[in-house]
Amino acid sequence: MLRLLRIDLKKLVNYRAFWVLNIMYGLLIFSIPISVMEFLKWLKEKGAELDGFDPMKIPVLHFPDIWQNITYVYVFLKIFLAIVVIISISNEYSYKTIRQNIIDGMSRVDFIKSKLLTILLLSLGSTLFVFLTGLLTGFIYTPNVAVSDMFTGIEFVFAYFLDLFTYLVFAFLLTVLLKRSALTIFILLLYLPIEYAITGNLPESMEFIAEYFPLHAINNLIEFPFAKYWFQEIQDYVSLSAVGVVFVYLALFIYAIYAKLKASDL
Amino acid sequence: MDTVLKIENLTKQYGRITAVRNLSLEVHRGNVFGILGPNGSGKTTTLGILLDVIKKTSGSFSWFGQPPTKEMRKKIGAILETPIFYPYLSAVKNLEIVAEIKGAPVDRIEPVLKKVELYERRHDKFRTYSLGMKQRLSIASALLCDPEVMILDEPTNGLDPQGIAEIRELIKQIAREGKTIILASHLLDEVQKVCTHFCVLKRGSLLYSGSVEEVNKGVESVEVIADASDMEMVLQGYPMAAKVVEEDGKYIVTLENGARAADLNAYLFSKGITISHLLTQRKSLEKQFLELLAESDNA
Repeated sequence: MLRLLRIDLKKLVNYRAFWVLNIMYGLLIFSIPISVMEFLKWLKEKGAELDGFDPMKIPVLHFPDIWQNITYVYVFLKIFLAIVVIISISNEYSYKTIRQNIIDGMSRVDFIKSKLLTILLLSLGSTLFVFLTGLLTGFIYTPNVAVSDMFTGIEFVFAYFLDLFTYLVFAFLLTVLLKRSALTIFILLLYLPIEYAITGNLPESMEFIAEYFPLHAINNLIEFPFAKYWFQEIQDYVSLSAVGVVFVYLALFIYAIYAKLKASDL
Repeated sequence: MDTVLKIENLTKQYGRITAVRNLSLEVHRGNVFGILGPNGSGKTTTLGILLDVIKKTSGSFSWFGQPPTKEMRKKIGAILETPIFYPYLSAVKNLEIVAEIKGAPVDRIEPVLKKVELYERRHDKFRTYSLGMKQRLSIASALLCDPEVMILDEPTNGLDPQGIAEIRELIKQIAREGKTIILASHLLDEVQKVCTHFCVLKRGSLLYSGSVEEVNKGVESVEVIADASDMEMVLQGYPMAAKVVEEDGKYIVTLENGARAADLNAYLFSKGITISHLLTQRKSLEKQFLELLAESDNA
């Protein structure tokens, strides 16, 4: 297993686009909490129309709110890592190196494993980074840190991991089907509006199936949290049924990748 | 004799097109086996199937008497069509990946790069290499696991004459080490110069399979010059001569199967004629190859 991961990492560590995208992604993660606070400060300075309310008091980045808030925002950045995954796999097709890997003695399953392990590593790394950023930001901005608050809502970090990992495996599947990087990225971006257009136009009796569409299921892991700041009810937990649906999709995606690669001439 | 590769009734269909038709072959240890055929005759498809990158439609094959697995492929050094490497990586990094896949020791990289004379350029990116260097790197890569079998597909394609000579020398050198080599080529001359055995494919069907020596043994013609007035008569009287033709004072004698130039020389000497010039000409593989192709067209 480790050998397969090492092989794939050898292909990536000397590839410039890999680092450019990862560093951009890291910088964005790190800069979002900072810019949120700057934005709140700016609101405070403008202050007048808020009836004397101090926007700095909105607990956006306080424990325990912070976990759902930042993970909800951070999942939008997953497209950067999806592009890393798409390039890493489409390169194997355009350079024909997937063919040479097999000739040299990899099985098709080995190839899938080595790519999945890299995806797993990227997802774990990103989750760890998000966790540390959240912890640090929470410490800085929470007025009175209580240990019991710190890890309340930590399940959103797990949900973030599952969201990211499944999305990246979905990108893997699309690349195996489409093979070319630009086309795959385009279709991946286009797929979300298409899915929402379909579910938006379902007849009323069928509306309940919307949450079983893949990206709906993934997006249902972390629900929109900010409505609570204008006093609306929100889902402040990770729904187990959403986790279940996502696991089913994960298994389906991986099986589809396997079925496609097993049967095709390379 | 050890059988390295055995193919039985292998068939590959792309829709209605049959790329390989009912192919059966055997390659033995130590052979340099040429697969000869015009472009599109199914050479690369056959090799692709043997290496699991192309799925066969029917038939079977075995390596070393066992059904194919990835472990088997780790013991085979193979290049199909063009050299394939990560263009943004250096030769060393590329070979590290191959070594990792094949489970070959990393300290093999230095000697194989030296062998193909790429050691000086080992840290340069693959994309900066000339075609000849790329071909040599793929041979280095194929040698990495100290393979028992090497598969080379058109290894001299697109090279300049010097590059072709270098690669052929390299192949012969590897063959002398006792490795089995399977070489696909559309160049007859290449097969004749390098191979011990060969087969001929056309539109996916096997036309011929046998040893190069056997073919070379075939009909021999000898060019002789001698200062004797009764030369033509004496030659006509030689029982092993199939045909005698005079051309600008030279006699071209086509010998019967099995007869050699030395036999003719001995015969002439026994008749009291000493010759001043003797040149053996074998019917070239090319001629036979074209004949085979023509025969199959008529059939």
